[in-house]
Amino acid sequence: MNIELSDLTRKFGRTIAVDGVTLDAGPGVLGLLGPNGAGKTSLLRMLATILPPSSGDLRLLERDPARPAQRREIRRRLGYLPQNLGYYPSFTVVEFVEYFALLKEMPPHIVPKAVATAIERVELGAKAKAKLRTLSGGMLRRVGIAQAIVNEPQLLLFDEPTAGLDPEQRVAFRALMRYFGQTATVIVSTHLVEDVGAACTEVALMSEGKIAFRGTPEELTARGVDHGVGDAPLERGYSAVLAAARSAS
Amino acid sequence: MSTPDDVDLDRVWANVAAEVWRRQPGRVERTAARLLKSPGLARALLTTPSLLLPWLIATVVVLGAGALAQVAAGQPLVWLIAPSLAAVGIAYAYGPGIDPAWELSCSMAVSDRMVLLTRAVVVFAANALLGLVASAATIGTAASAGTVTLTFAWLLPMTAICALALAVAVAARSASAGAGAGVAAWIILVLARGLASAPSGAPGSAPGVQLTAAITDANLYLPYLAVAVCCAAAVIYATRPQRGPQ
Repeated sequence: MNIELSDLTRKFGRTIAVDGVTLDAGPGVLGLLGPNGAGKTSLLRMLATILPPSSGDLRLLERDPARPAQRREIRRRLGYLPQNLGYYPSFTVVEFVEYFALLKEMPPHIVPKAVATAIERVELGAKAKAKLRTLSGGMLRRVGIAQAIVNEPQLLLFDEPTAGLDPEQRVAFRALMRYFGQTATVIVSTHLVEDVGAACTEVALMSEGKIAFRGTPEELTARGVDHGVGDAPLERGYSAVLAAARSAS
Repeated sequence: MSTPDDVDLDRVWANVAAEVWRRQPGRVERTAARLLKSPGLARALLTTPSLLLPWLIATVVVLGAGALAQVAAGQPLVWLIAPSLAAVGIAYAYGPGIDPAWELSCSMAVSDRMVLLTRAVVVFAANALLGLVASAATIGTAASAGTVTLTFAWLLPMTAICALALAVAVAARSASAGAGAGVAAWIILVLARGLASAPSGAPGSAPGVQLTAAITDANLYLPYLAVAVCCAAAVIYATRPQRGPQ
């Protein structure tokens, strides 16, 4: 298993952002759904080794991120796209992706080819030498995706990756997720239920810091058969599970 | 035109693109990579906001103006400016809001603590060097009183003020708070010591001499050293790698 969480909790003062989450995941694409404030980003930041848990056990890529040496090994094999990707306006696309390839401690001699491959995968070859300040929001998002995949990660974490992408780019991005999901664990936090239906092999639905549902997109769809809220079958499943979780709490 | 079936055009193109887009690191970056034994850390060092060319030019201009004023009017401006300039530079070396991709940087194998400490040391060294050049240019003026000792004496308070600015910036996770704390501490110290050492009955009669009291007073050297050590220890503690749940 690439991800093993046991009773993982994260508190901010009195607020419990992630409340006793137990989860494991191997290769594949896991969609993380949930309303705003459900704890998706906090969970993703713990998986990205940025945020230490308040309690519980966390193992990533069969290593303990609480130990600095093992955390470093995890980070070499990690790809992360934060919700708010900051960028250096004066950097070109190549410089930005290369910068993070070097910070991931990739061997310098393989960096140029890895950077070129990542940029081509997000279809930004024509803008490779363009300054980031000249790019649109959707292009910047793709630059962020390129830096996340540049090291061929074993654990790939995307927080709202399709925000700002047009429909054609979203289709291409889903194909990219499926490609990496063949060998790596890809976790994608999103509000867009259609992204989950199209690309994810599994879904976890978070509500109030807890995992309210874990299963395949088809299983989530089945939960919404008799539920009236939502336009698409998957949305009805999402609404049904969320309503059940709220009434139970 | 057709290609043989066993030719992977994507791979060929990736190799071509890698060569076309390859960025050649400059001499400074290559040297830093050799010294730090980390190309990533070297690149992170060169992206330090307070080491970018516009910032360095601004520092040179301010110190140059201070040196000219010191030579022309006998005011000890270089000694007074240098510590606060360095404190602001150190506070703006790294952190949330300063480094645009700070959150992403925190998930990298090159530790953010190493980036912070490396940047802080190099910003300090750059500011000390520029300050020394400006200060050396004023030797022999009225304000320096012809003493080489005075020319270098501000390095110790500068160290303490920089350490304080860095500690506050790290603790508050705010560069502006760190810069504000450093500059405010220096102004308060200079004014307090200047007032305390002013000749009675003649306030303001020799402002240059009084304003340098914070630098020339040997009784302050030990407290400066203590502040620098304590603040450095606080920074090292605050940025320690997390070993377990919080």
